[in-house]
Amino acid sequence: MKRVRLERLSSQLLAAPPARTISASRFASRAPRASTSSPRLRTTACLQIRCQSTTVSPDLIYEDEFIQEDPEEVDPRTLPLPSPPPSRAQYSAKLAALHARLSLSPRLPLETLARALIDPSADSNTKFNNTNLAYLGASLLQYHTSEFLVTRYPRLPLAITFAAMKGYAGPEVLQRVARAWGVEAAAAPGEEVDPGYLQFDPLRPTVEMKKGGYVRAESAEIARFKWRRGMSSRVTYDNAFGEMVPGQASVSNMHMAAVSNEHNEREKILRDAAQNAHANFVRAVVGAIYLHCGRENAKSFVKSHFLSRTLDLSNLFEFKVPTRELARLCAREDFEAPVARLESETGRMSRTPVFVVGIYSGKDKLGEGAGSSLDEARVIAAQNALKSWYLYSPGEVALPSDTFAEDAAPWKPVYIDIGEIIS
Amino acid sequence: MEARQILRPFCSLTSTVIRTTRRCQSTTSRTKKALKIRPDVSFLTPNSEDHIIFNPPSSAPSVYHTPFKFLPKSDPRRQANLTHLLRTSDLHNAPLPPPAGKLAEIKPRSNVTKEEVEEMRQLRNENPAKWSVVRLAEKFQCTKLFVMMCCQASDEHWKSERERLEAIKARWGPMRTNAREERQKRKKMLARGEL
Repeated sequence: MKRVRLERLSSQLLAAPPARTISASRFASRAPRASTSSPRLRTTACLQIRCQSTTVSPDLIYEDEFIQEDPEEVDPRTLPLPSPPPSRAQYSAKLAALHARLSLSPRLPLETLARALIDPSADSNTKFNNTNLAYLGASLLQYHTSEFLVTRYPRLPLAITFAAMKGYAGPEVLQRVARAWGVEAAAAPGEEVDPGYLQFDPLRPTVEMKKGGYVRAESAEIARFKWRRGMSSRVTYDNAFGEMVPGQASVSNMHMAAVSNEHNEREKILRDAAQNAHANFVRAVVGAIYLHCGRENAKSFVKSHFLSRTLDLSNLFEFKVPTRELARLCAREDFEAPVARLESETGRMSRTPVFVVGIYSGKDKLGEGAGSSLDEARVIAAQNALKSWYLYSPGEVALPSDTFAEDAAPWKPVYIDIGEIIS
Repeated sequence: MEARQILRPFCSLTSTVIRTTRRCQSTTSRTKKALKIRPDVSFLTPNSEDHIIFNPPSSAPSVYHTPFKFLPKSDPRRQANLTHLLRTSDLHNAPLPPPAGKLAEIKPRSNVTKEEVEEMRQLRNENPAKWSVVRLAEKFQCTKLFVMMCCQASDEHWKSERERLEAIKARWGPMRTNAREERQKRKKMLARGEL
């Protein structure tokens, strides 16, 4: 699981944003020309003061003259802004309703909530979009989810932990949470749109939250030939959900340059831009709460909105040979060898028989299962026994993040299991 | 009728064909009649007494309830339940239910010697058709898995076995093929806990 350095994350974000440069994306679309013909144009773009800004720079007029010189260039101040200005946040009924619906603290200003709703695809300026907030929020979400899972279910296999992480804090879930909060997407982003709408453009480049993980040297081969990725290497190399961080095309793909170019272009556009934008908004809200209301409030927000959701972990398991695995477990833990015993049955010679088989180790029952044949019931019983081993929970235990508080009790080590069964 | 009488001598000539054809229950009434099975005794309601039928049956125990044996040594529930277990030790000494199926009774011998392994390999090499994995497992009282770990049959034997299997599969009709596929699907569903 990834660890967050909480104290280092947020200091730069609370500083007041300086005056905004005009839509960097607009310039980015002409970037090659600007970089070759006139380096001056770039400086104008960077120094250009946003119309709504109250600060006036003495360089402004001087820079404007340069812009007027270029006949092709339109005065950037006459162009509409890519996203609604922060000053309009106070007048948006939708934004106030969202703030009230989430019972957010009055310390969290509406302007920040409005900023959390602006996706990088709508406004590429990082001072005005939600990228930084979302990055912080993603770290917090993953940290609190992983510490919850590891302390609550210390015996969970790694594959199940990854799946559960995705079930609590994955992009699909975050999109559902955003929908449940009543956030709607604007038809198209722009200055005139109500700031209470989620602003994103599915056709423009955006930022995907790739928190943690490294690009593997063989990532292209893994994607192409479906090479095996070991479970334990995923802790180091892959992201918090055990998914591979996509990398560049490898050397072996170079001879197919024409084909792969097209392929890469297609891959640059996100499969589900709406999902990415909704998830980033939710992450950004968590980050904003952390910045304005503090660590404890962010933690309780994560707990009440994400960790309180129902996720049946017992449905995530898939066993290959459960009976053998259970026998290995009993041998490892010095229990008597497991024996399947027929507890009750009905309708043996009929078309719909039911057998109830219990798995016993000595005189202790480990699991029970009902099936329509003896073999099926035995397999189900073994699966249930294994699930009850893996889903052991010490109950309500202190989390590592509890010790961040000033008056926290001394840390008591939690139960750590020796690892999953290898059969 | 006449045509059949005329054809009867030829039937004896093509006797092999006739022997392999079987009568099938292709009509609706025959199928219905075949599926009409008297319900099991436990399903029938006795006239004399009132009783409750649990349908669906009482719920299965939750997998979130960790069995006593699976609790780690440090768990406080272990201490709390220990006194309870000692108090109800009579209940604990009740006879266990009978083992389910044959698999519970298999006691494979685990101490096969090195010489026996050599002998096993030699037998398998000499006549793989006669000394199959099952027969070797019976002879040396070990598991089939252990035999397969020890011996490797020759390529010709592998090939002939595969051909034999292919020939068997080629004889299957659409119904049997379909039934086999369904069984594989059910196996996968069982592994995911969906059955």
